[in-house]
Amino acid sequence: MKSAGRKIKKQRRPKKRRRFSEGYFYTVPAVLYMLALIGFPAIYNWKISFENMTIKTYNAGTTKFVGLKNYIDLFHDSAFWNAFWNTFEYTIICLVIQFSIGLLLAILFSKKFPMAGKLRGLLVVSWLIPATVTALMFKFMLSSDGIVNFLLIKAGIVDSGIGWLIDPKYAMKGLILANSWVGIPFNMLLLSTGLSNIPEDIYESAQIDGANPIQRFFFITIPLIKSSILAVLVLGFVYTFKVFDLVYTMTNGGPVNSTEVLSTYAYYNSFKLYEFGKGAAVANVLFVILFLVGLIYLRLIGKEE
Amino acid sequence: MKLLSKRSSRTKLILLIVAILVSIPMIFPLYWIIVNSLKSDAEIFSRVPTFLPSAPAWENYSKQFASPNMISAIRSSFVVSICSMIISLLLSVPAAYGLARFRMKWKKPFIMTFLVTQMLPTSLMLTPLFLIFNKLHLLNNYLSAILSTATISIPFIVLILRPIFASIPRELEEAAAIDGCSGFTAFIRIILPIAKNGTVTSMCFAFVYAWNDLIYSITFNTKDNLRPLTTMVYNFLNLYGTHWNMIMAYGVIMVLPVLIMFIFLQRYIVEGLVAGSVKG
Repeated sequence: MKSAGRKIKKQRRPKKRRRFSEGYFYTVPAVLYMLALIGFPAIYNWKISFENMTIKTYNAGTTKFVGLKNYIDLFHDSAFWNAFWNTFEYTIICLVIQFSIGLLLAILFSKKFPMAGKLRGLLVVSWLIPATVTALMFKFMLSSDGIVNFLLIKAGIVDSGIGWLIDPKYAMKGLILANSWVGIPFNMLLLSTGLSNIPEDIYESAQIDGANPIQRFFFITIPLIKSSILAVLVLGFVYTFKVFDLVYTMTNGGPVNSTEVLSTYAYYNSFKLYEFGKGAAVANVLFVILFLVGLIYLRLIGKEE
Repeated sequence: MKLLSKRSSRTKLILLIVAILVSIPMIFPLYWIIVNSLKSDAEIFSRVPTFLPSAPAWENYSKQFASPNMISAIRSSFVVSICSMIISLLLSVPAAYGLARFRMKWKKPFIMTFLVTQMLPTSLMLTPLFLIFNKLHLLNNYLSAILSTATISIPFIVLILRPIFASIPRELEEAAAIDGCSGFTAFIRIILPIAKNGTVTSMCFAFVYAWNDLIYSITFNTKDNLRPLTTMVYNFLNLYGTHWNMIMAYGVIMVLPVLIMFIFLQRYIVEGLVAGSVKG
């Protein structure tokens, strides 16, 4: 018996080893590519953020290690804090809007009616459109003579047009509106997959037990799609927090820095002022926040698997 | 029984109407950009917006091609997107297959690499990549944009294709091996054609992600003749001023390849989006 077992083991081993190496042959090139073009730069960015690197010191070769100076400077930089809080304001309001409306739409489209799938699929188109085009579209609709102001005046909600993207009080709202157009379908789609996994008969038995629709929603639907909800919130946070294209094209951080966010502020420091050290430090703040959120996400999907 | 079915068909109708009503604001911006790209100057500047152009002004499009840099912007967009797509597919499709099929000690760290790199913000890469490309003399060169945009689609494709490859029965490769087919030939000749839908969807995503890129091209290419459509947006905004019909036509040109893809591959794209963003 023993020797037979050993024999089988011996036969299996070389097969296993061949597969083992073959997998690397397929997978390693892509991994190396990502490490070279994302992993290495991400680490290099930390080094830059600890140096006094500007275009001048870079060209003159006088770049020096300055420790935490860039980060301490940021701490005393009111423009940085403005961008920091703007990013949070933008992200949190976007998340609330896109999640709540996205969930309502997901529930609506989970009902059985003709064209449900077709219509739902159609809404997702905004997710593929270049953010630059989304920005142009909303820039036009939110312009002073644009359709949004026209409808608001027609409906008697406002007397004169709102300066959506030119008034510092409204610019952020304009951006949030544009982002919601992309975020709502994204949330709807991800929540829909969660909803479709709920078996129909749970609702039926709850109905027999006398649960009303609101009770069914809070005590059956929400707990059963909890993992989808958490995933969509975390992913939504990551995608919204790192916004660049939309802000850059719609407002470029203005008017009067009212829509400056961390990514545009990092870009501004590195490629308008050519202060690479400071730009790298701003980008790292963005990175650390996303990293913390990402850890939660990886935890969550780790638990599910 | 009859009453019940009548009632349920009525609820279905109500649901359909509600769904159409809530879909209108979501579809409207797309309709609006197309309609306004076809309006004449007189119509676009009129106080009351019209919901259909009185006579489509196709010249808004033909005039685009007379504006400086338009041809080179379109060319740049295609060169960057197609090359980026090829690099991305060459790397990501085999990677997804490798992760789906083979036992590897490093499988978990590899999957983590793709998950983490997918979530990292592009703005984090700008400064270091700018300096690296500068050292390699790749600034103001299509290669900088091509190499960097491929990093956006690679992790996404690996993550959506892996479960698709994993769902294909192993017996197919085993049968191929008996017929004397090498593992790699079996992958190209047998597995890829079976996973056609997934591969075609991946192709689209690789193209679209590079096509939509703004941040990398705008940072690495400062010469106008190398800049794709997205990065020329401020040039065109300055050029057209408040001629929104021209700006919208420019937007439609930018979105056209994406829309065409979406129309033909809608179902696969929607499935792919779900798989790529939730599952690991």
